[in-house]
Amino acid sequence: MSTLPVDTLRPETAASETQLRPPFWTAWQKILFRIAFVFFVSLALPNDPGWYKDLFSFDWTRLHYRDLYDIARFGSGLNIFGNKIFGSSLNGYATWVITLIFAIGVGLVWTFIDSRRKPQPREYNRLYYWLRVVVRYRAGIGIIGFGYTKLFPTQLPYPSLGVLNTDFGDLTLQKIYWLSIGIVPWYEVFAGVVEVLAGALLFFRATTFWGSVLLFGALADIVFVNFEYDGGVHVYSSYFVLLSGFLLIYDIPKVYNLLVREQLTIPVHYYPSFHKPWQQWSRVFLKTGVIGVFVVWFFYLQGVNFLYDPYKQPALKGVSELRGNYNVTEFKINNQVIPYSPLDSVRWQQATFENWTTLTFKVNRPVDLDLSNGGGSPMRDINRTFELTGVAGGQRVFYYEADTLHQVLYLQDKNRGRQNRETREIEGKAARTEAKAKPVVASWIPKEALAIIGSEDEKIHPLARSTRRTRGMISEAENPGGESSQVVGWDRSNNGTVKAPTPLRNRMILNYQAINGGNRVILSGINENRDSIHVVLDRVPRKYALSESTLKAGKYD
Amino acid sequence: MQTMDQPTHLPEPAAWSTAEKAIFRFFFLYFFIQVVPLDYKYYQYLFSIDWLQLSYREIFYLSRYSPKFIDGADTFLNWAIVAGIALVGSVVWSVFDRQKREYNLLYYWLRVLVRYRLAVGVLAYGFIKFFPEQSPLPSLSHLNTNYGDFSAWKLFSLSLGVVPTYESFLGLIEIIGGLLLLHRKTATIATLIILPFTGNVFVSNLAYEGGEYVYSLYLISLALFLFSFDAIRLFTLLSLEKATKPNRFQPVFSEQWLKNARLVGKLAFIVFFVFFYGYQTYAGHRKGSYQYPQQKGLSQAAGLYNVSEFSINGKDIPYSKTDPVRWKDVVFETWATLSIRSNRPVQIDSLNTEEIFAADSLRNYESTGSISRHYYSYTIDSLTHTLLLKNKNRHYKGEQLVLHYERPEAGTILLKGLNENRDSIRVVLNQVDKKYLIYEAKKVGRRKGLKL
Repeated sequence: MSTLPVDTLRPETAASETQLRPPFWTAWQKILFRIAFVFFVSLALPNDPGWYKDLFSFDWTRLHYRDLYDIARFGSGLNIFGNKIFGSSLNGYATWVITLIFAIGVGLVWTFIDSRRKPQPREYNRLYYWLRVVVRYRAGIGIIGFGYTKLFPTQLPYPSLGVLNTDFGDLTLQKIYWLSIGIVPWYEVFAGVVEVLAGALLFFRATTFWGSVLLFGALADIVFVNFEYDGGVHVYSSYFVLLSGFLLIYDIPKVYNLLVREQLTIPVHYYPSFHKPWQQWSRVFLKTGVIGVFVVWFFYLQGVNFLYDPYKQPALKGVSELRGNYNVTEFKINNQVIPYSPLDSVRWQQATFENWTTLTFKVNRPVDLDLSNGGGSPMRDINRTFELTGVAGGQRVFYYEADTLHQVLYLQDKNRGRQNRETREIEGKAARTEAKAKPVVASWIPKEALAIIGSEDEKIHPLARSTRRTRGMISEAENPGGESSQVVGWDRSNNGTVKAPTPLRNRMILNYQAINGGNRVILSGINENRDSIHVVLDRVPRKYALSESTLKAGKYD
Repeated sequence: MQTMDQPTHLPEPAAWSTAEKAIFRFFFLYFFIQVVPLDYKYYQYLFSIDWLQLSYREIFYLSRYSPKFIDGADTFLNWAIVAGIALVGSVVWSVFDRQKREYNLLYYWLRVLVRYRLAVGVLAYGFIKFFPEQSPLPSLSHLNTNYGDFSAWKLFSLSLGVVPTYESFLGLIEIIGGLLLLHRKTATIATLIILPFTGNVFVSNLAYEGGEYVYSLYLISLALFLFSFDAIRLFTLLSLEKATKPNRFQPVFSEQWLKNARLVGKLAFIVFFVFFYGYQTYAGHRKGSYQYPQQKGLSQAAGLYNVSEFSINGKDIPYSKTDPVRWKDVVFETWATLSIRSNRPVQIDSLNTEEIFAADSLRNYESTGSISRHYYSYTIDSLTHTLLLKNKNRHYKGEQLVLHYERPEAGTILLKGLNENRDSIRVVLNQVDKKYLIYEAKKVGRRKGLKL
């Protein structure tokens, strides 16, 4: 056997060729570029007036992480022509097709105009460079927005006790996937690091290839996950696959030539030269600005959110004696004792108080389920529904406000079933609602109790308070869930200075008595059907097979 | 970007520096020991296989070789020992081999060994995912176990098991990565696929308390070694944006028999590890996942049962959440497994590595990594209408129940006999028409309502 050393380098040729101008583009390359240019600019620059309105309505002195997130997360493509093709949304991708059709139209007109120009443009290197800049920054900012919610694990929260007590078969696929990451917060951090790193690498020319490879691989997987587990964000994750795929096209021929063809490869790049001081200054200013806002500031805001206000999990702590799993030792309804039976449709079977303001109990009666993914960015704790979305098994999930002086819980059903449309769709509007002078309060809780309970907005850690949160509190109280409200249900108090629209929520008012540090809890009062109930709960320590997380979002001590 | 034509002149390959040679000698020995089976135990296993009955199971175990000097679970200490041997060996080698200018040829062949070793590693796991066997659909018992009653590793597997298409997709990526390794020119591209993929497997093993983090890091180390061959080139080309020379070395098989040998070897590898192994995993998948037993259970009994009556030694025990003895519910699987949910604590039976068991009695995927249910495999004596139940958990070895069964009407099973403590029990089971959200939500779609 002999070996053949291969040396393909002929330096004299190489040297002379690097001094050549970049080669002309073929007619087809130019046509494709014009279409791609219009397509990707339409996709990568915000074209919704609301986005710009947001930019100016945010209180930049007291920013909420979600403000920056909203800037980073905008949908893709032109929707001024609607988002359906022949009546079909093509699973959400119709906007892309419409944008492409538009781009082809404009690209052809552009080709026609160029054909009349003298001399005709020979290449679009400068435009291509700037197009790549736009796409790089768009993809980088967007994925960092996503990445930080994992880096500080809040996007996929650790399961609440109520969820831990739910049978595996009583979860939707979407929930199963979200939980499977949520149970290992350190893994979620790792996934966040990958996404943030991919984004950060895209801010620099020299590392763009590595950033796009990482982004392409990670997001292609996420697209698949969203399809298979019905996660609901397949279009937005595909968006990053598309953008990073576009960025890769630039380098793939070089990599192919070097690795597969094993040929000497000389990269030829076009770079604009910034020799005028104002150009240099604006470049430095813009770049530092983007990195400062979306990498540094965002990091801080997301960190604060993780510590004090994890967005899918209620922020305020629950009554500290009321925590943990409880066995329902005694259950009386209208003074009639009901013995335990797994088949009984009225009796509570087990009850749980979370670290935050949630009481869950299990009843063997079907309930209207909320199959959404529990996302969005609700500001009020009552609207943070991750603990119940996609979960069946007869669990009732109630949000409570506690009058700790008189030991009364004012409970409202967090589950609004199918009425609870995805908050994501309305949240933009909610954020833009101007704060009104008079805060609206639900009128069913007596005034003096309300005074003791205090304002939800003010009870959070001062660092986590923001204008968005304050505004959100008000708009969500006025317009819960976003649909027209109806006065249903019942109203115990008659202090009706401000008549809040009553949502379709079940309500209970229960006195509580915590004995022996809450090892025994006695609840008595009026339930959601206006029956009087008397429930004795005994705390049971439950050991789960799933190890507890060492990284916990929120502060509930 | 410009390219050159084929060379017209062949200069002598450049000499390596002393440091380069020293480093190479170490890594040559290190990776040689890591990938070439030198362990006699490997050959013991190899010769114990019945080659006429060869299935994917044996190939899977053969594929998972890495040298082990220490008994028990794989540890990084084994790596340290390999590194120690390589270090001593490379010092000796350096003393005796001062004349050599470069090791291009040896480097080439080492990369061949590592490439094929890595390919075997990823193909072995790729195919049992591609034909979704590694994580099967959850059993009925799984569906009726609280989320928190599973270990993280079990939840990882169950969460993958509910979406067979996604599991196939992951398997496909591994297979593509493996196939690209079989060709010198695409090997680096293969590592760009395998590194993130296996990197994720490694981190998952750490995070979910899996047992294969050493082995997954082993595969990563091989991939990194292969990637390092072109890493500087890629960095020069893509990050420094400079002209970059390609790999300048390739072996030339001048003699015909060498060419043939190469072709035959490569083909044999592909036929065995891709076609034969691939077919075997497919055939295995058609028979049902290797994770669950194959023996059929009591006919038309599969389902979830409420325990409507329960008496022990003649004494009735009413429904209770807290009673330590009474059963809460019972699941009959389609295969011969019965599981009982009760308050009797379950000492967790952990298995966090991938094992392919041939015998039904060893197939314990259903019971490992979970508490709150006791799992029993059973045999049916249809003459006397008796079930002999044996606890599957290795912590309850020898635990048996002998239960006489009656089926007075469809959906009702009456069990009478002796429990694990030789107490006589009488149990009435009523089948529950349980609807699982996993499947129900698929029917209506996520945005529609569902009452359950």
